Amino acid sequence: MKETNHNQPLAYDSSRQEHERGIAAAIRALWHITRRELRTFGQRPIFLIIMFVAPLGFLWMFTSLMQAGLPTKLPAALVDEDDTHVTRQLTRILGTMEETNFVVQTKSFTEAREAMQRGEVYAIFCIPKGTTEKALTQRQPVISFYTNDSYYVPASLLMKDMRKMGEMAGLAMTRATMRAKGFRDDQIMGTLQPIVIEAHPLGNAYLNYSVVLSNLIVPGLLMIVIMLTTSYTFGNEWKRGKQKKLYNMGKGNIGIIILGKLLPQTMLYTIIFWLIDLVFYSYLQFPCACGVPRMMLWGFLAVLSSQGFGLLMFEAFPGQMRMAMSACSLLGVMQFSLAGFSFPVSAMALPFQWLSNIFPLHHYFLIYVNQALNGYSISYVWTSVVALVAIYLLPQFFAFRLEDALLNKEYKE
Amino acid sequence: MRKPKFPIIHVWWDELCELVKDEGILIFVVLLPLAYPLLYAMIYDTETQRELPVCVVDENMSDRSRDFIRRVDATPEVQIAAHCTSMAEAQELMRRRDVYGILLIPREFDLRLWRGQQTVVGLYSDLTSMLYYKVAYLGIINVAQELNRNIKVIERQANTTAREEEVARWPIRFEEVKLYNSAGGFAAFLIPPVLMLILQQALCLGVGMSMGRSRERFRGLVIPPSKYYKSTLAIVLGKGLVYFLLFLLMGFYMAVCVTRWFGLPQLGHFWDLFSFFVPYLLACTYMAIFYSSFIYRREDCILLFVFMSIPLLFLSGVSWPGSAIPPLWKAVGAVFPSTWGLNAYVRIQGMGASLGDCQTEIMALWILAAIYFLLSCLIYMFEIRKAVGRSIFN
Repeated sequence: MKETNHNQPLAYDSSRQEHERGIAAAIRALWHITRRELRTFGQRPIFLIIMFVAPLGFLWMFTSLMQAGLPTKLPAALVDEDDTHVTRQLTRILGTMEETNFVVQTKSFTEAREAMQRGEVYAIFCIPKGTTEKALTQRQPVISFYTNDSYYVPASLLMKDMRKMGEMAGLAMTRATMRAKGFRDDQIMGTLQPIVIEAHPLGNAYLNYSVVLSNLIVPGLLMIVIMLTTSYTFGNEWKRGKQKKLYNMGKGNIGIIILGKLLPQTMLYTIIFWLIDLVFYSYLQFPCACGVPRMMLWGFLAVLSSQGFGLLMFEAFPGQMRMAMSACSLLGVMQFSLAGFSFPVSAMALPFQWLSNIFPLHHYFLIYVNQALNGYSISYVWTSVVALVAIYLLPQFFAFRLEDALLNKEYKE
Repeated sequence: MRKPKFPIIHVWWDELCELVKDEGILIFVVLLPLAYPLLYAMIYDTETQRELPVCVVDENMSDRSRDFIRRVDATPEVQIAAHCTSMAEAQELMRRRDVYGILLIPREFDLRLWRGQQTVVGLYSDLTSMLYYKVAYLGIINVAQELNRNIKVIERQANTTAREEEVARWPIRFEEVKLYNSAGGFAAFLIPPVLMLILQQALCLGVGMSMGRSRERFRGLVIPPSKYYKSTLAIVLGKGLVYFLLFLLMGFYMAVCVTRWFGLPQLGHFWDLFSFFVPYLLACTYMAIFYSSFIYRREDCILLFVFMSIPLLFLSGVSWPGSAIPPLWKAVGAVFPSTWGLNAYVRIQGMGASLGDCQTEIMALWILAAIYFLLSCLIYMFEIRKAVGRSIFN
C-alpha cells in the first residue's frame, strides 16, 4: 500500500488518500474479525446455549415463578385452645384475610410448632384457653402469634395480617361496648381509629414483587452472562493459540480488535435485552413511566457497560482467561447483593456502599427506578448514566495491557 | 513418594495432587468457600435498615402534629431528615434521593381530632427497595396506633380507674413473636441458605474444572491412560472422596465458624448436622461429577454453573415462599440437591428441627445422591469403554 503512495504526485492528496484507505482497511479488518467471531459462535454450541437459551429461559422462569406478584394464602397454623363461638368467629375472619391460609388447626401448641419445624407452616396464631371468658369480663386476655422469620417474605406478610387481626379484635370489643352505650358508627370510628395512615407505595401500588424482582434479576443474569462471555471470547484466542493471528487481522490496531470482537455480542445481547424489555413492559404490562424506547436505550447502555466490565477483568488478568472469568463470576454474583433491591445499599456498611458503585447492575437499577418506576427526569441519576458509560470506556485506557498480552503472552493452563 | 497400590486410593491421591497443583481449581474449592461466606455475611451484617431518612410536610403546624412528628422521629426505624413547607419541595427531595419517604400531615389534622372524627395521614414511600416501604410503614403505624390508644382512652372515653384505662387501651392484648430470627434481620435469614448454596456451586465449579482439564489433556477423555483407571467404581469413589472430604470440612467451617463469628442462628445438634451434611454433600458431589462430564473445556464450566446460583436460590423456596411456587418449577427444583439441602439446613441449624422433622428432605437427598452416583458410574463406564476402544491402556 505504501509503495503506491510514493507514486502519488501531490503530498496533500497522498496523505488524504492514505487516510481514506486507512479507514477502508480498518472497516475491512473490523468486518473480518466480526465475521470470524460469528463463525466461532456457530462452532461452539455452548455459546448458543449461554447467549440465547439461558437469558430467555430465565425470563420465562422468573416471570412465571412470580406470576402471583404478591404471594397470597400462605400456610399457617391455628392453635385454638379456647374453642368457643367467639374465637371461632375471630379465626373465621382471619381465615378470610388475603395472606393467611390455616392448613393446620389444632389444640396443642407443640403440634403447631412441630408443623413449623417440618416447614409446613410459616406462622402460628395462638388463642390460649380462657380468652373468651377474660374478654367478656374485661380482664384483658392475651393472644399471641409466632412467625418463622427464617423465611423472611412469608413471615413479614403473615405478620402484617396477624397484627391487623390482633388490633381489630380489640377494637371490635370496644365497638361492641360503645354501641351498647348508644354511640353512632362514625363517632365510634373516630374513637377507635382517630389517626388513619394511608400508605402510598409509589410506582408499584400493588406491591407486586415480580415487578421489582424480575425487572432486576433477569437483566442482572443477562449482565453476568455478558461479562462472562466477554472474557471468554477474548480468552479463547489465547486458548486456541490464535492471539497473534487476531493481532495481524486487526493490523495491530487494538481499538479495531476490541470493537470487532465485541460487536457481534453487543448486537445480540442488545436484541435480547430489548426482547426482555418488550416482554416486561408491553406484554406483562409492568409499570414503565418513561416509555419502552427509553428503557431500551438504558438496556443498550447496560449491555455496553457489562461488556466493559468483562473486558476490564480480562485486562486485569491479561491472557489468563480462567482468572478473568473467575473474577467476573465472583464479582458478578455479588452484584446482585450490592445492587440494593432486596437489601438497600444505604443500610450496608460504608465500604460496601462505595463498592456498589463499580457494578453496572447497581447503576442500571437506579436508572430503572428513576425512569420506569417513578418517571422522574434522568437528570436526577445522571451520575449513574455517567458511571455506566465510564465502565464501558475504562478498558480503553488499559488497552495497552491487552496489546502486550496479544504479542507476548501464551495460554497458561 | 511411592504411589499407593489400590485403585481407589490411587485415584484419590491423583485427584488430590492435581487439585493442589492447580490454582484455577483451588480458587473455587478453597478460596471461594472460605472467603465468600465472610463477604456475604459482612454485606448483610447490619441486618436491617435503621433511621430511614423521611421528610415531613406539616400543613397543620399544631401542638398535636408536632407531637406526632417527634414520636415518629424517635422510632428506631425512621428519622425525620427534613421539614418541608409544600409537597412540591418534598417531592424534589425524594427525586434527589435525599429522603425515601414523605409524611403528609393534613391541614385539618388536629381540628378533626378535636371534633372526634377520623383524620388521614399520608405516607408516600419510595420503592427503590421493598425494605424502605416496610420500615417506613412499620415505624409510622406503630406511632399512630400508640397515639390512637391514648386518644381513645384519655379523650373519648371517661374511665375511672387506672386498670380500666389499661383495659380500654388494650381490650385484648396481643404478643408478636418472631421465631428463630428475633431481630427480623436479613443476615439471619439469607446467610444460612446462601452458605449451603455456596457449597454446591463451589463443588460444581471445582469438579467441572478438573474434568474439563482432563478432557483437554487426554484428548476428550475424562480418565488418564493408566492401568489404575479401569474400574468404574474405583474412579467414581476415589474422585468423589476427595471432594466429599474437603467439602465436609468446608461445611463445618460454615456451620460452626462463620455461624459463630457473625452470630447467625445455631440451634443444630452436631450429629443432626453431620447426618445432613453427608447426604447433601454426596448428592452435590455426584451431581457435579455427572453434569461436569458434559464439559469439554475447563473454562466452560464457569459459563454453565455460575449464573445458576440466583435461580437455584429462588427455586429452593427460601427467598420466594415455596407455597407460591408453581408445580412445574417445584419439579425442576427437586432435581437439584440445593432445593432440599437449603431447607433442611435452615430448619436444623436455624430452627432446631430434629432429623425426623426433615425426614422428607434427608430422604430426597439420599435418593438424589444415589441417582447421581449411578449416573456418574454410567458415564465413567462409557468413558472407560471409549478409552479401551482407543486402546490407550497398555
